[in-house]
Amino acid sequence: MTATANPLSAPSDRQPGALAGTGTLLRFMLRRDRIRLPAWVLGVTALMAYFANAIGAVMDAEGLESLAAMLANPVMALIGGPGYGFDDITVPRVLAGMYGLYIMLGAALMSILTVARHTRVEEQTGRAELVRANAAGRHAQLAAALIVAVLMSLLVSLLTSVVVAGAAIDPRPDVAGSVLLGFSFGAVGLVFAGVAAVTAQLSSFSRACSGLAGVVLGAAFVLRGLGDMSKVQDGGLSGLSWLSPLGWSQQTAPFTLDRWWPLLLSVAGFVVLVAVAFRLESRRDLAGGIFADRLGSAHAAVWLRSSFGLAFRLQRPSLIGWSAAILVAGLIFGAFTQSMNEGIGGMPEEIVRVMGGADGIVEGYLGFMGLYFAVIIAVYAILSVQSLRAEEQGFRAEPVLAASVGRPAWLLWWVTVTALGALWLLALAGLGEGIGAAVTVGDASLIGPTLLGHAVHVGAAWFLLGLATALYGLAPRLLGLTWAVFGYGAVLSLFGEMLEFGQRLLDTSPFQHAGQYPAGVVSWGGVGVLVVLAVVLAGVGTLAFGRRDLTTA
Amino acid sequence: MTSTASAGSPAAIELDGVTKRFGKVLALDGLDLRVGHGEVHGFLGPNGAGKSTTIRVLLGILRHGSGTARLLGGDPWRDAVALHRRLAYVPGDVELWPNLTGGEAIDLFARLRGGVDTAKRDELIERFDLDPRKKGRTYSKGNRQKVALISALASDVELLLLDEPTAGLDPLMEAVFQRCINEAKDEGRTVLLSSHILAQVEALADRLSIIRKGKIVETGTLEEMRHLSRTSVTVVTGEPIDRLADEPGVHDLVEEGGQTHFSVDTARLPQLMRELAAHDVRALTATPPTLEQLLLRHYGDELEEAGV
Repeated sequence: MTATANPLSAPSDRQPGALAGTGTLLRFMLRRDRIRLPAWVLGVTALMAYFANAIGAVMDAEGLESLAAMLANPVMALIGGPGYGFDDITVPRVLAGMYGLYIMLGAALMSILTVARHTRVEEQTGRAELVRANAAGRHAQLAAALIVAVLMSLLVSLLTSVVVAGAAIDPRPDVAGSVLLGFSFGAVGLVFAGVAAVTAQLSSFSRACSGLAGVVLGAAFVLRGLGDMSKVQDGGLSGLSWLSPLGWSQQTAPFTLDRWWPLLLSVAGFVVLVAVAFRLESRRDLAGGIFADRLGSAHAAVWLRSSFGLAFRLQRPSLIGWSAAILVAGLIFGAFTQSMNEGIGGMPEEIVRVMGGADGIVEGYLGFMGLYFAVIIAVYAILSVQSLRAEEQGFRAEPVLAASVGRPAWLLWWVTVTALGALWLLALAGLGEGIGAAVTVGDASLIGPTLLGHAVHVGAAWFLLGLATALYGLAPRLLGLTWAVFGYGAVLSLFGEMLEFGQRLLDTSPFQHAGQYPAGVVSWGGVGVLVVLAVVLAGVGTLAFGRRDLTTA
Repeated sequence: MTSTASAGSPAAIELDGVTKRFGKVLALDGLDLRVGHGEVHGFLGPNGAGKSTTIRVLLGILRHGSGTARLLGGDPWRDAVALHRRLAYVPGDVELWPNLTGGEAIDLFARLRGGVDTAKRDELIERFDLDPRKKGRTYSKGNRQKVALISALASDVELLLLDEPTAGLDPLMEAVFQRCINEAKDEGRTVLLSSHILAQVEALADRLSIIRKGKIVETGTLEEMRHLSRTSVTVVTGEPIDRLADEPGVHDLVEEGGQTHFSVDTARLPQLMRELAAHDVRALTATPPTLEQLLLRHYGDELEEAGV
């Protein structure tokens, strides 16, 4: 008996009928996602269509020339890709090399959230138990969720192929390249469906499933970013790109090399990940994780005694995770400052101009990264308001508000903790960036200005936080509109200058108003206006929340 | 009545003609409810009758339409925060934070109300047999219920609002719960106990109200309600009883095997007993109406509609 009790080779690994019920569950999931699925697929496609037609519309030959010069910059490689074919630049190549990455991120998020929603979230809520109590096999739910994710990735591939091939671009993108580009997006969706399938097995906590998968996505982004920066500068680290699923898709080089074989890596990665996920799922209990739960404290900490304490306690795990990721990312990106500095001799004037000008490339790079981190940290702020809504929808707000806690306090302390968290994260990003730059460049005086330059971007994050709070109070169902404003602002600020949009249009982005210090001056007026708007919006949200009914069971 | 909002006001809970509408659905339809200080008040009604909605109006979580609502002398919507310091609430469906332990949640809720009696808390944890070190996501429904109950009972509050508080508890824990409520009553606390466990209400409640379709259809002590209802009687007499069926207040008369079964309006019982005594009674059992029968009187037509 004891001889076979090796937990690593549990005899029941292969349950007969482990996939029973997959078809029924698949139909059920498609029914549940009848709005969500088309929204994701069409949303990603619409973003691609927007990029394709917008660039086609604004780019003339001269614009392309100056864009080509700018794209030789390692920072552009970091936020864009390896830049295949940029020495003989065409609009389709810009589309694939510069904007494709963001469609890939969209596809990855789509897959992660879809798989998490249909697996671990179902288990945590106990609904999976009801399903499994019927004639449904152990792997049926995961298998059906993966089929949904694969289907969505396939639809994204096909539809983006069509919109690229049909875009109003001169010269018209060739069909073969368009299809390859489309499928390079779908390949990322495929791999991250596999990643989420694995992370769903690890912890019994549903947020950990999407959170860990998000960490993998972040790591993939950073790896290929470093690899691509190295490639643009003919450095020795370009192999790093090949360690990243995003890199595999970008290495297809649509409209340039048109090679399909890197996508084999994506498919192989998906197969391996799914196999691992099924194997892990065979070894664990329903609703359990591979990592066991530990006992916690029998008493609450002394500070856990107010709505502020509760808000901090509930946001603490996410803040710790974000802090670690942001600090590491800051250090890594900061460490690349010296490479930028060395490469400056070979860079055209245009880059120095766009990167902030007179103070040189070091300051320009550090200034631009503040904007970049502001966009990332705005995501943290908006997600936090969504967690607050989840508190209400999960009926956990009710017993708190039934205690002696006022609604304004409950809402405002949560938002305050998030606002302070956003400031902390931006400062941390600036500190990491500054230290990375100071160490590699050998100039410790970079740390202070970089920290300040990053921290003042908090205005944009606070503005979006305020907007989300207002929507939460007025009409919680419309909270998602914040993402539209965020996306609009992020696209304008990250790409608007390249697309040569007018300053008036660029100024409608909330990310545009802090100034790219230390490259430029800090725009205290702009930051002040954003902060005031944020406070007003939060106030509106608080008043409105005080007037509406709570969601109850 | 010159007293303002103070503990001197006549009732802990006063609802007059309260309405609450969710879209087209009228959840509370002119509800009147009065609960005196220091009273354990049973709140009975089937699912969907409006019990939880009433309690949430009292908590200021939902805002009522017309009518007036007073809670501990204050306005439940406007004065929510101040009032909540003086009450504790236990929902029927307790949701906890997945990554907070039960002990943390108990302390948090009690502190948010104004303070926790640590000795009482530990004693209650012992009595309810709860492991406070486990994370919220690992608790069963009954254990989540215990967390909310312990936190409520360990708080020094005047009023307990309990919405089906023992829905997930086993019979042993049910007994512990009943002892705790009796202790709370001895300490002078007011309890509004919504339930559909009739034995629990019978054991604990001083007065009770029955709600149906958003209205209170009956309210009073159990005795008063019984008085308004019928007593079941089974009697064996030496002499046959004629004309019994014609007596006022006698219903459902059946004779079988020498026994006579009938029910009688409780108010008519003394008169009838004198009549029966003249017929050489050999055996007699009389059972007061059970709570179930009282409820059925108000919901009987619904059962018929449902084909039961």
